[in-house]
Amino acid sequence: MSAGLLLNATICFAITISSFAFAWVLAQSDSQHNNKSRPALWSLIALWSLVGLTYLPTTVRMIAAYMDNQQLDLIMYYIASVPFSFVAVPLVFFILYVIIGDQKISSYISLLFVLFGAAYLALFYSSGVIGPTITPLTSLFTINSDIAINIYLIGLFVIPTAMIIGLLFLIFLQRMPKRLRYRTALPLVAISFVFDFMLTDMITLDDTMQLAARIFVLIGTVQAFLAYFPPMTLQEKLGIKKYEYILCEKEEEEDYDEDGVEGSDINV
Amino acid sequence: MSEDIDVKLEQEVAEFYQSLGIHQGPGDIQYRLILKVLGKNEGRITEFSEIREYTDMFADKGSIGSKMKTIFQLEGLAEKVKRGGYIITDKGMTASNFLKDTTTFYKKNKRMGEIIERMP
Repeated sequence: MSAGLLLNATICFAITISSFAFAWVLAQSDSQHNNKSRPALWSLIALWSLVGLTYLPTTVRMIAAYMDNQQLDLIMYYIASVPFSFVAVPLVFFILYVIIGDQKISSYISLLFVLFGAAYLALFYSSGVIGPTITPLTSLFTINSDIAINIYLIGLFVIPTAMIIGLLFLIFLQRMPKRLRYRTALPLVAISFVFDFMLTDMITLDDTMQLAARIFVLIGTVQAFLAYFPPMTLQEKLGIKKYEYILCEKEEEEDYDEDGVEGSDINV
Repeated sequence: MSEDIDVKLEQEVAEFYQSLGIHQGPGDIQYRLILKVLGKNEGRITEFSEIREYTDMFADKGSIGSKMKTIFQLEGLAEKVKRGGYIITDKGMTASNFLKDTTTFYKKNKRMGEIIERMP
């Protein structure tokens, strides 16, 4: 029973709350989106909900470890693995849909990742886990199947991460307004942050690294929030503030001639 | 093998450049189509009637003839080799290549615009 475990539980709870809150806020903004961006929006909502659903049992798991309840710890680990295995699905759909714009193709390819997730889960449940190993900071389990870890690494993480990097490159290679660059690149960086540190969190056998990974997942969630709802000071600092323009009255518009000859012709 | 001219695409590209305030050259559908036809027939004589096949829906015979004279012949992009027959010059090919780049830029920009539009 150590305070480190409580700190870990608090971080997990913060991730859960912020992910659900973010998914909720995104869902609320549905009416502001058109038919083109709506599929991507709902895949993002699904992604953040799955992140929240992964960290909710993890929070309980950390509390169970603090209370030395190994049975509950194990059950919660198994429960957390379900949403975790399918986190890649909405992410793959999101990236493919944004790039190619075809909902059907994106759905079919993301279905492939459902199979990856299911295969991982099947192997994971059939092989079982070793643990828990309770440390002052966390409770660790070791997955008892090398194939499951390989599916998990290649299918669920390497491919989606490569897709995110590809889309990021596509955005960075284009010259576009600062505001748009911020609006498109930061959510991707945030997703990448969360996604990759979730991987580290799940497979690491080092308690400090797991805690650090969870802190980074939390940072990623906050980053995603800032990407969609940047505070005014940040907007001003980065020069991405969207100004409301007021159209000039006709009299003011004609006042372009500094020499005082109003309405003179401009030779182009 | 000569490439086909997609009039609808050329019109879209011209409108895109016009929306950027570029009304001449890449933003002018007549200029685009004339240069496309001349470029397609590189090394061969382009008949005026062939140009008109593409430009008739946008402009009358007179304005195309005038464009041929005041822009293409005057700037040395094409040479008149017989009555109603033109051949593209090396300078004209440079302009034709530039036109291809403007189409590529348009497509790239459109694709990126669509990506951004799909981003929630």
